[in-house]
Amino acid sequence: MDLLNGPWRRELARLPWGVVLLISAIAGFGTMVLYSAGGGSLDPWALKHGVRFAILLVGALALAMLPPERWLALAWPIYFTLLLALVGVELVGAVKGGSQRWLNLGFMEFQPSEMMKLAIILAMARYFQYVPKGYESKPDVLLPALAIIAMPVGLVMLQPDLGTALSIMFGGIVVMFLAGVRLWLFGAAIAGVGALLPVAWNLLHDYQRKRVLIFLDPESDPRGAGYHITQSKIAIGSGGLSGKGFLQGTQSHLDYLPELHTDFAFATMAEEWGLMGGLFVIILYGLVLAWGIRTAVNAGSQFQRLLALGLMSTLFFYLAINMMMVMGLAPVVGIPLPLISWGGSSMMTVMILLSLVMGVARANRPNRD
Amino acid sequence: MATIPGNDPLIRAIPAAAGERVTARSQARQRLAFIIMLFPVLALVILVRLIDLAVVQGIPKSSGPTISAAPPRGDILDRNGVELARTFEAYAITVMPRRLTSDPEVLATRLATILPERTREEILADLTSGKSFRYLARRVLPGQARRINELGEPAIELAREAERLYPNYALAAQALGYTDDKGHGLIGVEKAFDADLADPVKRATPLMLSLDVRVQQAMSHELAALVADQNAKGAAGVVMDVNSGEVLAMVSLPDFNPNVPGKRADGTVYTTANDDGSRFNRVTLGGYELGSTFKAFTIATALETGVLTNLQKQYDATRPLEVAGFRIRDDHAKNRWLTVPEIFIYSSNIGTARMALEVGRERQREYLDKLGFLKPAEFELKEKTKPQFPPLSNWGQLATMTISYGHGLTVSPLHLANGYATLVNGGFYRPPTILKRDAAAVPAGTRVFSEKTSAEMRRLLRLVVTNGTGRKADVPGYRVGGKTGTAEKIEGGRYVRGQNVVNFAAVFPVDAPRYVVVAMIDDPRGSKATYGFRTAGMVVAPAIHRIIERIAPPLGVLPDYNRDVNLAGLLPGGADVKE
Repeated sequence: MDLLNGPWRRELARLPWGVVLLISAIAGFGTMVLYSAGGGSLDPWALKHGVRFAILLVGALALAMLPPERWLALAWPIYFTLLLALVGVELVGAVKGGSQRWLNLGFMEFQPSEMMKLAIILAMARYFQYVPKGYESKPDVLLPALAIIAMPVGLVMLQPDLGTALSIMFGGIVVMFLAGVRLWLFGAAIAGVGALLPVAWNLLHDYQRKRVLIFLDPESDPRGAGYHITQSKIAIGSGGLSGKGFLQGTQSHLDYLPELHTDFAFATMAEEWGLMGGLFVIILYGLVLAWGIRTAVNAGSQFQRLLALGLMSTLFFYLAINMMMVMGLAPVVGIPLPLISWGGSSMMTVMILLSLVMGVARANRPNRD
Repeated sequence: MATIPGNDPLIRAIPAAAGERVTARSQARQRLAFIIMLFPVLALVILVRLIDLAVVQGIPKSSGPTISAAPPRGDILDRNGVELARTFEAYAITVMPRRLTSDPEVLATRLATILPERTREEILADLTSGKSFRYLARRVLPGQARRINELGEPAIELAREAERLYPNYALAAQALGYTDDKGHGLIGVEKAFDADLADPVKRATPLMLSLDVRVQQAMSHELAALVADQNAKGAAGVVMDVNSGEVLAMVSLPDFNPNVPGKRADGTVYTTANDDGSRFNRVTLGGYELGSTFKAFTIATALETGVLTNLQKQYDATRPLEVAGFRIRDDHAKNRWLTVPEIFIYSSNIGTARMALEVGRERQREYLDKLGFLKPAEFELKEKTKPQFPPLSNWGQLATMTISYGHGLTVSPLHLANGYATLVNGGFYRPPTILKRDAAAVPAGTRVFSEKTSAEMRRLLRLVVTNGTGRKADVPGYRVGGKTGTAEKIEGGRYVRGQNVVNFAAVFPVDAPRYVVVAMIDDPRGSKATYGFRTAGMVVAPAIHRIIERIAPPLGVLPDYNRDVNLAGLLPGGADVKE
C-alpha cells in the first residue's frame, strides 16, 4: 500500500486543479468551435485540437514541477539559444530565399520566434531580479535591457513577422514597466516612436501598410483586405444574443469568413453561440487571468513576480488583440485566440506559458513543506 | 502566505540604494495595480464592443453596393419542412470593360477557370465589348468570388446580392413561381404571397405549403416519362387531400428551372417566338374540356335531385341520339338499353345525355355552380382560368346534353380534382388551397351531395376500375376508383381533329377516400407501350397506377387486400366479381 500513499499522491493534490479545469473548459469549447468550423466533423481540426491539448496539458503539468529557481538559472541559456536559433533561421532563409520562420530540426519543425515570446519575459525577469531597487532607470541598467529586447525583435522583424515582433516587444516592455522603470521614460519612448513613425512606415512591407490603413478604415475596401474584418463583424452581428445555434453558422459554413478556424475562430464561435458564447470565453479567461495575478501578488521573489505577471500580460495581450481584431478594434496582425484557434505551435506557447505560472503558484503554496 | 520580498535571500544579497527601498516597493505596487486595473478596463472595452456588434447593431446590412435591390425574402417550405425556396447572399461579378487595366486575353483565361459556366470566348467578348458596364456572372459562390477578387483587377467589382434559390430545380416550378431582379414574385406562390414573403415581420416565418415534395416528385417523374413516351405536348397533374382541400402535388409539363427563369435547360433564351409555354401552369390556368370524367357529376346530380332513385334504371342507348342536327354517339357503343353503372363503365354519351335531359338545365347549372365549375377556382394562385360555358341564352337542350359528358364547358384540372374531392368526401365542397391546413383550419365546407350520393359514387368509381375503362389504374390493396376522360383539343376556340386531351381522375382508397389524383396528357401520339392507343384508359390509367403505387406509402396509406367497397348488385350476372 506504500505505492498508494506515496508522495505522488500529495504531489497530485498540489496541482492547480482549478486552473486545469478552466483551461480544459476553454480548449473543449475550442474543440466544439473547430468541429463546427470543419463542417460538423472531427476532421480536419477538432480531433487533433483536442488530442493536442490533452498531450500538452500533461506536458505542462510535468513542466510545472520545475521550481522557479530552476527557471531563474536557465533564463539566460534559453534566451541565448533562441537568439542563436533566430540567427540560424535568418541564415537558412537567406540561403533558401524568401521568408523563413521555421527551423527544421529533423524530427520536428521548430519556430524560435514563437518561443522567444516567452523567453523574453524569462530573460527580462532574470535581468531585473538582480537589479537593486532604485537602480532600474539608470542608463547602465536600461541600455542592456533595451538590447535584450531589441535583438530578438530586430531579428523577427527581418523575417518579417510584425505580429510576433510586437508580441516580443510588448512582453519585454511590460516587464520593464513592472520592474519600476521611471514613467517619464515610457512617455519619452512613446514620443520617440511617434517621431520615428514616418521612418518605420517606409520600412513596412506593402501588405503591412495596407493592413494598418484598412484597420483605420475597413469600409474603404470591403471586398479586398477589409473583407476579413467586415465578414467577421457580420458573423458576430448575425449571432446576436444567443447565436444561431451549434453548426448553424452561415458566415462560416458558407465560406464567407476567412481563417474561420485560426485567427477568426472567435467570430466563428460568436456567430453560433452569440453574445453568450463570447461572454463564456471572456469569463473563463478572466478567471484564468485572476488566478495568474493572484499568483504574481503572492509570489516570493521579484523574479517570480515579474515572470508570472509578465506572462499573464502576454496572455492578456493575445486575448485582447485577437478579440479586438475580430471586432474591428485592432488591425489584422495574425494573433490567434489562445486554446481556441487551430494551431499547434501557438497552443504549445500558451501551455508552456501557463505551466511557468503554475510553477510559480506551486512554489508559493501556503502549505508547502 | 507570500514571502515578503525583503526576506528573499536573493534580494537580501543586493544592497539597496539608500532611501529608495520603500519608494521602490510602493512604486512596484502601483505598477502592479495599474496592470491589474488595465485588464478589466480592456475586457470591458471588448465586452461593450461585443454587445454593440451582436445586439445593438444586430444583423448588419451587407456592405458594398447591392446591384439587385432584391430585399431578403421569406423561405418557402413544403408540408414537411423541406426547403422549396430560400434567399441567400451571392455575388454578382461586374466589370467595367473601359477601365480594364490588365490584358483581356490573360484575364479571360483566368476568369474562365474560375467560372465554369462561361466559356473563355464569352468572357473575352464581354471584356473587349468597350461597354461601360457588363455582368460577368451572377449568383457566384463566395469561394469563387474570393478567387476573382484575388485576380486584383480593379475594373472587376463584386457586389453582394440577395438571390432566390430553388433547390429542387424544376420541381413544382409553376406552382412556386419565381421573382424578378427587384425581388417581386412574378408567378405562382411567389406572386400570390408576395406581400407576406417580403413583409419585414412575416418573412421571418417560412411559408409552409400544402405541397409534399415526395408526391410532387413522383407525379412529376411519371408524367414526364409519359410525355416522352407519348411524344405529347404536355401534361398536368394534381394530388389533393379530399378531406382538407390541400394540394399535395401540382405538376405542369413542360416545366422550367426557376433558378434561371429566362433560359431553357439548353441555355437558349425565351422569346415570344419560341416560348414553349413552360411557365404556363396547366393545372390552374389551363382550361380544358375534360370529357367523360364529367359524367360522374351528371350521375351524382341525378341521384341527388331524385331523377335516379335506383341505379338499375335503364336508358336507351340503342342508337345515336340526334338533337338539333347534332349526333351524339358512343365510343364503345353497346346498342342496347343500359343501366346507370353500365353507362358509367362503358362511358356512354347517349345514356348520360338522356339522364341530363331528365335533370334539366336549371338543376344542372345549379350543381355545376355549387361544384365551383362556373367561376375561377377559389385558390390562392393568381394564374387561374375562367371557365368557358355557353351563356344562358345559348344553353339549350343540346348544351345540357354535351355538358353532361364534359363537352362545351372548359375548366382547369384543379376544378376537376376539387370536384372529385367533393364527390367522394361525403359531398362537401371546400375551396382548394396551396397552404398547409391544420386539422383545425379545415373549413367545414358546403354540402353539395348527400352522404348517400357520395357513397354511391364511390362504388361507381370503383366499378370503372374493376370492370370498366380504368382497369389499368388499379393498384392491388389500395382500392383505387376513378374515371377516364377523352376530349378533342380546343385551340383558338376550335376543335383540333386528331388531337386529344386525355385525363383520368382517381380516388384512393375508395372505401375511405383520402386522396384524389388527376392526371391529364395533352395530345398523346400513342406508342408501343399503349399499342398505338391514345385513350385515357390506355395512356393515363397505367401512369395513375404507377403514381399511386409510389405516393401511397409515403402518404401513409396502407394496402389492405381484404377491404373494398361493396359492388354487389351494380352489374347483372355477377359481373361485379373482379376479373
